[in-house]
Amino acid sequence: MNILPLALTAKNNCYLIHRMPTIPLLEVLGVRLGVFIEIVSKQPLKGPIVVRVGNREIAIDRDIAQNIIVKEVVE
Amino acid sequence: MSCHETVKVKDSNHERKVLLVGNPNVGKSVIFSRLTGVQVESANYPGTTVDVSSGEFTWNNKKAVLIDVPGVYSLEANSVAEEVAINILEEGADLIIYVLDATNLGRNLDLALQLAKYQIPVVYALNLVDIAEMQGIVIDTKRLSELLMAPVIPTVATQNKGLKELAEVSFTDNNQELAATSQRAPVSSEMRWKKIDQIIKEVEKEGSKQESFLQRLGEWTIQPMPGWPIAIFVLLLSLGIVVGGGKGLRALILLPLVNNIIVPFITTVVSAIVPEGIFLNLLVGEYGVLIKSIEWPFALVLPYVFLFYIVFSILEDSGYLPRLAVMADATLKRLGIQGGSIIPLMLGYGCAVPAILGTRTATTKKERMIVTALVSFAIPCASQSAAFFALLGDHSLLVLVLMYLISFLALAGVGAILNRVIPGQTQPLLIEIPNLLPPDWSTLTKKLKMRMKHFLVEAEIPMFLGILLAAVVVETGLFNQVSIWIEPMVSGWLGLPPESSLSLLLGIIRRELAVLPLLELNLSTLQLLVGATLALFYLPCISVFAVLAKEFSLKFALGIGASTIAAAFLFAGIINHVGSFLLLLVG
Repeated sequence: MNILPLALTAKNNCYLIHRMPTIPLLEVLGVRLGVFIEIVSKQPLKGPIVVRVGNREIAIDRDIAQNIIVKEVVE
Repeated sequence: MSCHETVKVKDSNHERKVLLVGNPNVGKSVIFSRLTGVQVESANYPGTTVDVSSGEFTWNNKKAVLIDVPGVYSLEANSVAEEVAINILEEGADLIIYVLDATNLGRNLDLALQLAKYQIPVVYALNLVDIAEMQGIVIDTKRLSELLMAPVIPTVATQNKGLKELAEVSFTDNNQELAATSQRAPVSSEMRWKKIDQIIKEVEKEGSKQESFLQRLGEWTIQPMPGWPIAIFVLLLSLGIVVGGGKGLRALILLPLVNNIIVPFITTVVSAIVPEGIFLNLLVGEYGVLIKSIEWPFALVLPYVFLFYIVFSILEDSGYLPRLAVMADATLKRLGIQGGSIIPLMLGYGCAVPAILGTRTATTKKERMIVTALVSFAIPCASQSAAFFALLGDHSLLVLVLMYLISFLALAGVGAILNRVIPGQTQPLLIEIPNLLPPDWSTLTKKLKMRMKHFLVEAEIPMFLGILLAAVVVETGLFNQVSIWIEPMVSGWLGLPPESSLSLLLGIIRRELAVLPLLELNLSTLQLLVGATLALFYLPCISVFAVLAKEFSLKFALGIGASTIAAAFLFAGIINHVGSFLLLLVG
């Protein structure tokens, strides 16, 4: 299984949160360990990454995304 | 401003107190606006900068006070809003109406389960059930109510669905077993999520998906393509509505009304009563208080301010602004601020005062200072923009466009410089993107009414005093003396007629007053651009100065004041000299 930072993921793929920094807001927004996320869009010019968690989209800054490690989910 | 009033939390005669609690973006403010009557008070929670609204909530002759607790994601005191929410909950209440977003039940239950420890009976409003259904989410409300051991009322607040039932349940004593509930409430976040997953498994069923146009549009707006073209389209459309609509309102209704009916009427009546002389001139002369204090605010400024707030409030309630923040983040980050700050910046095009107050939600001091400086320096407020449209719109559209271009360049320049100069970090963007929703008219009209009332109170009095000052200095000849004194600066360096120093004098009071006196002078195209640039950078108005001093410090306010004056003279002068030189080359 492929392990990589969220910042390097590909659009439309699904991932599992493997490791992440302790950011309270991130957790309450539903981005927690072991949760599935789908990459919705990546903004150009090192802009934020939009991920879908459950039924909701969350925009995450590229620098934070660099520190979130995800596992690729092979379907 | 009502910033010093305290929120009414404990009533002397033990009125029923109901708290409205929920995550941000779940339709809480729509429910609040629908359940409360006309009288809504909004004030700072004591000791903080967070606004808390409260209003009267009635059903079947029973009365309660409904308090709109700030929308928060958790109760761990991570932010000022969360601290306020905790304080209000700790003060106690008779009932909590907890608003659940049916499209995102799991995360909404996280906060709901944390409420058990306050031992207050809860009624759940399961809101946005219509959108959930379209997204293929069907929720078994009966089972959810059993699991939560409290009533659950499905609602569609924007369509008034379920609100009657919600009100009825809110006034019924349902004898919840509070002690038992709080004992069973999970303590750690891990345990909470285990319980939530269990609840979701039992109550949420997958139905048929039925993608609506708004949903598809919502998906598009967060993709770079077509998100960017959509953003540009939305901004241009908003600008078109404000500028075009404002011009139309003025030309068709307000100008004829003011110039043909109101002003002649006032002039005739006043001239009949007051004998000719300086006093008459003060009232209805060149800068007659009774004429200009009606013509300027109502016929020139009001239509644009009104339309601006309509457009801004619609954008705000539709859930589009967070999407715009995502789009703008990469660009704004280079100015030392994050995408979310696009909201106070846009609000600044309405009025700098709420924009600066809006920076309270900024997470770092650095970001607050940069946004405030940008708003004070180079963002013309709606009143000033209206004055620019009146001054330049009819003479030279090119100058109008040039002036806004100068404003954007200044924004980029000031931002980039301050980002280097001010130490500290910019908080990285981390936001939830809410559903795209059609605006709710009842909430919108309430908000609009509040904003317009604020504008009229904040604007009309200083405007009246400013015009009175203008009338006095012009009619008494005092103005000529002041003019002679600053003439070298105005005529020599800026190339403007000496009379335009009146703009500088009045511009201290309100931003549009730095522009409007120029209307009465016959300026060349270059002079128009110089005058407009001067006014653009020149001092923010007295109200802004007061807010700067209050929110930051007197030193900060004076610093902004001095640097805006310096920038105004510097840039306007440079434009005058470069422009004259270019004209010389062409001619």
